[in-house]
Amino acid sequence: MAVAIAVKARYLARLRELAGVELELIHVSIGATLGDVYDAARAKHPSLPDRGAVRGAVNLEFAGWDARITDGDEVAFIPPVSGGRP
Amino acid sequence: MRYDVTMDPIDPRELEAIVSHPGAGAICTFSGIVRDNSRGQSVTHLDYEAYAEMAVPQMKKIGQEIKDRWPEARVAMAHRTGHLEIGEVSVVVSVSCPHRAEAFEACRWGIDRLKDSVPIWKKEHAADGTFWIEGSEAKPAR
Repeated sequence: MAVAIAVKARYLARLRELAGVELELIHVSIGATLGDVYDAARAKHPSLPDRGAVRGAVNLEFAGWDARITDGDEVAFIPPVSGGRP
Repeated sequence: MRYDVTMDPIDPRELEAIVSHPGAGAICTFSGIVRDNSRGQSVTHLDYEAYAEMAVPQMKKIGQEIKDRWPEARVAMAHRTGHLEIGEVSVVVSVSCPHRAEAFEACRWGIDRLKDSVPIWKKEHAADGTFWIEGSEAKPAR
């Protein structure tokens, strides 16, 4: 049996519409990074944009794509925020 | 202190009352208002959505950044979510300081950081369709 960990993945705003789901479990290998979780999410939901247009968060903090993920973490995929012209 | 994301109308005067104190000679308050136009199109209304569990801690972090830079500042921030009509207040940042120069600077810092790093999005309902506003881009909503 492959050793895997489960993380809760949350899709926000437009990414939720593209994925068609707000929250789901994603299984990745032990030692996986946030980027690996996003790649697994894109494999399930091909309409999600590439990493360049998304920020990731782990347990409510922004994190880099190379952040290590552990079992039970909650990750979130966040599109650019509302901005507005200064 | 007040850092919140709320479905209820925001009264900027309430945030000013929170930061007001006898040593504060200046209060600078930014209020963001829903405009009736965007990208050359008329806008009928907006829907704001927040990742609230993360947005409020991010707002507190910005408040701390302001206090690190302007130790005498007091800060309050609130952002609306849900359906907003033209003319309604979507976001308020209020900062008090002893003098006006740092109150202006700290308030500007606060709203710029909020717009940059707090996970809140607007969906714009305009004459040409419905769009998510992501930074400077408008992307069609489903």
